This record gives sequence, structure tokens and C-alpha cells, in this order.
Amino acid sequence: MDTCTASFHRRSISDVMCALLVAAMFVAIFWLAPEEQTMGEVQRIMYVHIAVAWCGLLGSLITAGAGLLYLLRRNIVCDQWAQAAAEWGWLCCGLTLVTGSLWAREAWGVWWTWEPRLTSMFILWTIQCGYLLVRANLDDPHRRARVAAVVAILGALDVPLVVMATRWFRGMHPEAPTMEPTMRAVLALSVIGFSLVSAGLVTRRRGQLGRQHQLGLADPAHSY
Amino acid sequence: MASYWWLLQKDLLTEYRARQSWPTMALLGGVVAMVFSLQAEGTDAVRQSLLGTMLWIATFFAAMTGLDRAFALERQDGCWDGLRSYPVHSTTVFLAKFTSHVLALGLLQALLTPLFIVLCHVAWHAPWWATLLVAALGNFGIAAVGTLVGALTSGMKHGGGMLVVVVLPLSVPVLLAAAEATRLMSAGQCDAAWWRWINLLAAFAIIYLTAGAALFEFVVED
Repeated sequence: MDTCTASFHRRSISDVMCALLVAAMFVAIFWLAPEEQTMGEVQRIMYVHIAVAWCGLLGSLITAGAGLLYLLRRNIVCDQWAQAAAEWGWLCCGLTLVTGSLWAREAWGVWWTWEPRLTSMFILWTIQCGYLLVRANLDDPHRRARVAAVVAILGALDVPLVVMATRWFRGMHPEAPTMEPTMRAVLALSVIGFSLVSAGLVTRRRGQLGRQHQLGLADPAHSY
Repeated sequence: MASYWWLLQKDLLTEYRARQSWPTMALLGGVVAMVFSLQAEGTDAVRQSLLGTMLWIATFFAAMTGLDRAFALERQDGCWDGLRSYPVHSTTVFLAKFTSHVLALGLLQALLTPLFIVLCHVAWHAPWWATLLVAALGNFGIAAVGTLVGALTSGMKHGGGMLVVVVLPLSVPVLLAAAEATRLMSAGQCDAAWWRWINLLAAFAIIYLTAGAALFEFVVED
């Protein structure tokens, strides 16, 4: 078996495992987790909401970390990791806002409220939008990597604000609510599942960016 | 230290001779103040509560105009290359540019605050030290992040647009804290809640100033 076929088989196996994990996760969320007494079925959004929020924050931190590594080592691969993590982080933060909005409609009776954690998450998402726009406006790969790294590091400074918002500003967002063991297990499965799927997708996107760079297609027009 | 003063003097002298950035900022701030005050209707309490937000939004957009013009001027006639070849650490260049922007924003607010008070017909109950503290910390935060990103986006296509797109979300925590602190102090409430916003403002001013001083080295490479 040649290297290319072996790599294809490895990817197929990881794809099947990811698909099974996601299927198990959704089975656990919709059938295994008990119905919450106050909110009912809507509470199940929480399992997805917390998992994507975690992936979004982690994506932002990885983008900043990879950016810092690029500034120190000047290795374009670090920038490819930063871009892959930023794109996934942007999507996850966006999904956090959407799922949060759906949950807020049922819990608080409004689609949106300027609550500290919602506001700080929205700010992080707009910073990630700015990061991707800056990348799209620069042609030279090394200049793009350098400028993007600085923006990513500045943007990651918002992450502690998102995490601590409820504690510092006494918002309405639930903070570490008590859950029964099955709910906690389903939440853990969801967070682990989303994290593994994120790792798989970010790794694959990094590989795609690497191949684009090797072929000389690293121009933003080919990336977006 | 001498290099810092020379660079600061150079920026102030350039502005004094060219008179491009600061008058534009003042004009934009004044126009925004006029437009906002026309829309600021309702009771005294409503206008008082909007004062902080309007003042800081006007300051922010005027600051962006000034930053964009300031770095565009540096790019003209090879001035940026001259600055890079000058035997001084990039942190000193950052601090000099940051100081000139803080001075510009301070002067702008000295103009805009009374203008807003007069146009919106509100009373100003804040003690002078609280007014200075909020203005200083808010301007430090905006100027630090604005100077860093302004230098980053200055040679970029659509640089002016990119500057606002990147600086606005980064400045939102500073703007929110400054607007809330202004709202509370203008009503004479310099209490525990006010100090919490001051702490947040101080934290962001220190974080952005440190990050700017540390990262400016990577910004001035081209």
C-alpha cells in the first residue's frame, strides 16, 4: 500500500469514528439525558451550547498561541494552524451566539439581551470577524501572518473577560448550575465529542492550507 | 528617554505645521455631538444616561480619523522608513506615538465634554478628579490599541476601513466601561459600582499598553 492510499485509509477511519462519536453524542443528548424540570426540552440546547462555546474560546486561544509562535519562529506552518483554528473558532462562537439566543428566548423571553457574558462573547466574535477580514486583505503570506498574529493576540485578551463576565459583572447567565450525574456525563461527552471533531477538522484544514501554500495558491481569494 | 521626547516633539511639530489630523478630529467630534444632541430627547434623566455613550462614541470615531491620518502622513515621503532606521527601540516609537494620540484625545474631550453638556442641557455633577481619571484611562485604552492597529493597517489596502473594523471590537470593553463610568459620575454617583468600571478601564488600559509596547516591534518591520 503506498503512502497516499495509507493516508486516505487513515482519514476515512478517523471520519467514520468522528461520525460515530457525533451520532452517539446526539443520541445521548436527545434520549439519554433526562428532561430538565423547569425548562423542559429546550434545556437540551445547553449540551451543544456549552460545547461549541468551549471550542470557540479554545479556537481563539489556539489562534493567538499559533500567532505568537509564528512571531517567534517565522514558520508559516504556525500561521496555517492559526488560520485553521480561527476559522473554526469563528464558526463555534457564531453557533454559541445562535444557540444562546434560542435558549434565551425560552429562558428569559427575549432573543437577545445585553447581558455581560453574551456581550463579551459577541465582542469576541466580532474580533474574530476582524481577524479574518484583515487576513483577506493582505496578499504577502508573511506580512499577513505577522499582522494576523498581532490581532489574534490582542483578540485573545477578551477570552478571560468572556469566562469571568458572569462573576465580575453579576449577569443573568447561569454559572456552574447543579446537575444530576447523567446530565453531567452527557455534557462531558458532548464537550469531548465536539473537541475531537474540532481537532479533526482543524487538522484537516491546516493540511489543506499547507498544500495550498506548496502549490502557490496561498492567496486569500483561494482561501475563502 | 531623550529619544522619546524627540519623537513626541516630532509628532507634535508635524501636526502643528500640517494641521491635518487634530482639526479633522475636532470637526468630526463636533458634528457627531451636534447630530447626537439633536436626537437626544426625553427627560433630563434619559439625556443624562445617554451622555456618556454619546461622548465616547464621538471620541472613538474622531480618534479613528486622527489615527488613520497620522499613519498615512508617516507613510508619505518615506517618513516611515526614516523612523524605522532611526537607532531607537520600537517600544520608544510606540510610546511617543501613543502619547501624542492621548494628548489629541484629551484635547478633543476637553472640547467635546462641555459641548455635549451645553447641547444636551444636562447637569454635570462629577468631581474634577473623577472626570480626569475616566478621561485618562479611557483615552489610554483607545490610544494604545489604536496606535498598534493603526500602524498595522497603515500600509494595507482599505487600511482606514480595516482600522475601524479591528479597533472597534477591541475597544468595546473600554468604551462600555468609560461610558458607564461617565454616566454614573455625571449623576454624581462615584460609588462602588463606579469604581468597578474604573477597575475594568484601568485593567484594559494597562493590558493594551503593555501588549502594544511588546508587539510594536513586530508591527514596524515593513
